[in-house]
Amino acid sequence: MNESYAERGYAERGYARGGQKSTRAGGVILGAIAFLCTFLVLWGLYYATGTGERHKVALAAAGCEPNLLSVNVGCTTVWMLERQWTQLTTSDVQQLNADVADYTVSQRRSLAKAKSALAAEVTTAKAFDTSLAQFPFPPAVAPSAKRLILAIQARIKLTAEQAGSSSLPQLRSFNARIDASGAEIQADMALVRKALFTRPTVNEEP
Amino acid sequence: MSTTRDYERGPHARHQDLYPGEADPYPADYESGLNPDSGVYPDDAQEFWGDDRKPAANYQPHRSSKTADEWMEENIKFGGRGVKRKTAALILLGAWGFLPLFFMLPSLLTFNTNTIGGSVDDTLGTGAEMNLFLCLLVTPAVVLTGQRWFVPLRRWYGIMFACCGIGDALGAAFFDDFAGNPFAKLVEHTFTLIGFTMVLLAIPLFITSNNWAQRKMGRYWKRLQRLTYVIWGLLFFHLATLEGFGFERGNNGSGFAGDGDAIFHQRLYEYCACSVFLLTLRLPPVKRWIAARQQEGRSRLVFMAVAPIFALFVFGMIFIINELIFKGTHSFVENPSVE
Repeated sequence: MNESYAERGYAERGYARGGQKSTRAGGVILGAIAFLCTFLVLWGLYYATGTGERHKVALAAAGCEPNLLSVNVGCTTVWMLERQWTQLTTSDVQQLNADVADYTVSQRRSLAKAKSALAAEVTTAKAFDTSLAQFPFPPAVAPSAKRLILAIQARIKLTAEQAGSSSLPQLRSFNARIDASGAEIQADMALVRKALFTRPTVNEEP
Repeated sequence: MSTTRDYERGPHARHQDLYPGEADPYPADYESGLNPDSGVYPDDAQEFWGDDRKPAANYQPHRSSKTADEWMEENIKFGGRGVKRKTAALILLGAWGFLPLFFMLPSLLTFNTNTIGGSVDDTLGTGAEMNLFLCLLVTPAVVLTGQRWFVPLRRWYGIMFACCGIGDALGAAFFDDFAGNPFAKLVEHTFTLIGFTMVLLAIPLFITSNNWAQRKMGRYWKRLQRLTYVIWGLLFFHLATLEGFGFERGNNGSGFAGDGDAIFHQRLYEYCACSVFLLTLRLPPVKRWIAARQQEGRSRLVFMAVAPIFALFVFGMIFIINELIFKGTHSFVENPSVE
């Protein structure tokens, strides 16, 4: 061994204080810790062999949604879905509300500003639609989610048509239909949210 | 030349155990008289090689064979240029330290507050822990192998630890879900208060982690660097208050049990598994025992005794790195993990 620790004087210091005896304590300490660590490592390896069985128990205990895979834990829990859903909807819905508020203010004053607000709404709604399409909805929630996505797409189409209006009265003539589609989207979102936040039944669990 | 104090403490007392980020003012080769200008010493020690202690330039000690440190100083061909083996090895090993910041880079550049708020604590917090352990690993590695070529990594990992810790605190202060102003977010929970204290302690270490500060502060620099051990201790309490002493059963407790291995994901247990090795090899009686066995030429016995402790360190480190990579890749694609 090159340039060992011993060469740097620790051994001499140890021997100077009483020869072999002075290093005995270190050996005992190291031996005891090494013994404990050996036990812990072996126990850890043994414990790791039961991972598969514990995994199944954990899936059920953690309220895992079936057929959804996550790289690390092998499942998506209800809690994880809730958080993902909240993260997804909060920012987009806030932005959509802001766009709608902009339109409401300008619908009687400025055609250009109203059309700009509608264009922004379309962009946000498209982004929301894309995010929803990528969301890992469990099978039980998928039909409600599909209805929601279709409703949003219909709203996008309607809003785009509205943005193509050539006058403020023509623009406002879409309002009733837009409000109706908005109510439909809100109802669908409530359904999806409720379905997502409900634990799977026993026969749905893996 | 030894100082009066050195004589009082014995000729070898100069070789104190070093601290994270610290250069050895008395390199091991000093007593062998090897010319420091030959580049054998850690880069951070060069500045400390005063003329009064410099051995004769033509003095060459007897060496039976080439040391690993000398071997690392040799050049290898890379892209038509000569690169020191040591430089290449240090870059490869040091790159790990930058990994947490690399994972957060896209969200920082795009100022994606959703990702920063959602995963900065997991990515940079875990990264800071990893860097601290790697920083603290250098001294035991020197004790065991006697090699010193990797000593500059101690400073690098220390700097990366401070960067990750400060980044974690900033992320928690400005983008976390806790109530209140940024300062309130850092002090309103026990674990955040302890974490904040650790970051405050890391700041002076970070600022003084350069040769200039080392020269200016003299012996006080070393004392300051001992704060690293305080940070190491505080990390225990940070994780204990964050995770508790138990582990997850069902939906309760810490260490997410989605994969059925809640014990392995318990951060406090990971900390303990890693710290046993780092602490044991810093105990003076253990160091004396190791040195005595090495001098007797029984290095194999040393390695056998230390192997299970190091295995436990690796066991803990695997799950720290697992979490860093898992959460980090999610942060990198700006889709923060909610697990």
